[in-house]
Amino acid sequence: MDVDLELEDSDNEETITAQSVLAKLEEAWMNEKFSPEILPHRTEIVDCMLEQIHQMEENLNKLKKSDFRVVIHRMELDRIRYIITSYLRSRLEKIELYTSHILEMESKRPVEERYLSPAEYKFAQEHQSHLENHFETVVLRHMPYNIRTLDKATMSVAPNLFSQVFLRANKTVNGVIVETGVEGAEEEVELDGNSQHIIQYKAIAELVKSGSVQLI
Amino acid sequence: MMDPAEVEFIAEKQMVEIVPNFNFDRVYLISGEIGPFRAGLPVKVPIWMAINLRQRQKCRILVPDWMDVEKLEQAKEDESASRYFTKMPSEHYMAEAQLILSACGEDVPRADEIRTALKDLWDMRMSKLRSSVDTFIKTGGTHARLDHLTLMEMNSVRPLLPHALDQLHRLSTVRFVFSPLVNSSSCFDMHISILYYCFWC
Repeated sequence: MDVDLELEDSDNEETITAQSVLAKLEEAWMNEKFSPEILPHRTEIVDCMLEQIHQMEENLNKLKKSDFRVVIHRMELDRIRYIITSYLRSRLEKIELYTSHILEMESKRPVEERYLSPAEYKFAQEHQSHLENHFETVVLRHMPYNIRTLDKATMSVAPNLFSQVFLRANKTVNGVIVETGVEGAEEEVELDGNSQHIIQYKAIAELVKSGSVQLI
Repeated sequence: MMDPAEVEFIAEKQMVEIVPNFNFDRVYLISGEIGPFRAGLPVKVPIWMAINLRQRQKCRILVPDWMDVEKLEQAKEDESASRYFTKMPSEHYMAEAQLILSACGEDVPRADEIRTALKDLWDMRMSKLRSSVDTFIKTGGTHARLDHLTLMEMNSVRPLLPHALDQLHRLSTVRFVFSPLVNSSSCFDMHISILYYCFWC
């Protein structure tokens, strides 16, 4: 991502871009919090912010404990850390809940376009295999042969993409198609820039991923 | 789902003016530069910082312009005159006022009147919100525009409104996919959950 590159340019730019990275992190946090499905990972933002926190902490250690700035900076770091952990946690929650569904979707995507970060992907796979092992040792091996297999397709839990979400449009988007549920009936919605709506997630899922709308 | 404390957390980023009683150079926060601080001169800082400095007796918080009895009375009048939600002076008016008044209520003249006016405004908007939710559900709408509704207000109808709509959507798809005979029991369950939702409305 270009955010990383910009940060190394100059000290002056660092403060400006660190601020914009933080804003991006906050957007990603809110989106992840409210979207029913897992969104493409933003590891580059998280890593960049962790690096900023690390640097700031090193600088703080050089200051005297009584320095006025220490408390303020620590408070800010705690706030940012909260956002990062809350963001990662909401992703983990979804991974744990929709493990097999997510893994199945991921297997259809090329490696570089995966929604999970490499670490999350590893976690999902391990979670899945532990779950299967557990079922195997606790129940399945005591079952008669003909019902010993697990059918992943019927077991997997998928997110409800029809669930309703609140959003703010970052720019005007025309012709958003909402399925009304009544056999194929559709409705077209216009999202004006900066307007707020409650709408079905499925209709705007792509707009969330492209950043045209912000979930709130 | 969002905790009201998280809405407050977001509101704490809003800037507020303080008058520090100390001198200090610019502070370079990750979220931006703050200061320089000059004793007696107003400076803009985020609310979380203002509250911390106030607790350490290092500043006086200047109440935002809109947190004023006359202005709030005017906002109340506008709100009652309009069918729609009017634009609030701050996107987090309730949380901001709550934070600032509880940190330094004793410094603010007519703090109680401000609190009452804000509460009236909130109640007015909430009843408007409830009646629009009612109409929205009854007319079977699929989406709604919610301009000028603040985050705290949206959060107050969450998860109730989105969930009620989810259930309605489920009902409408079920009816057309399965025959009612096969699915009668689950339809019944859903009616129960809708009754349950209505009860909470």
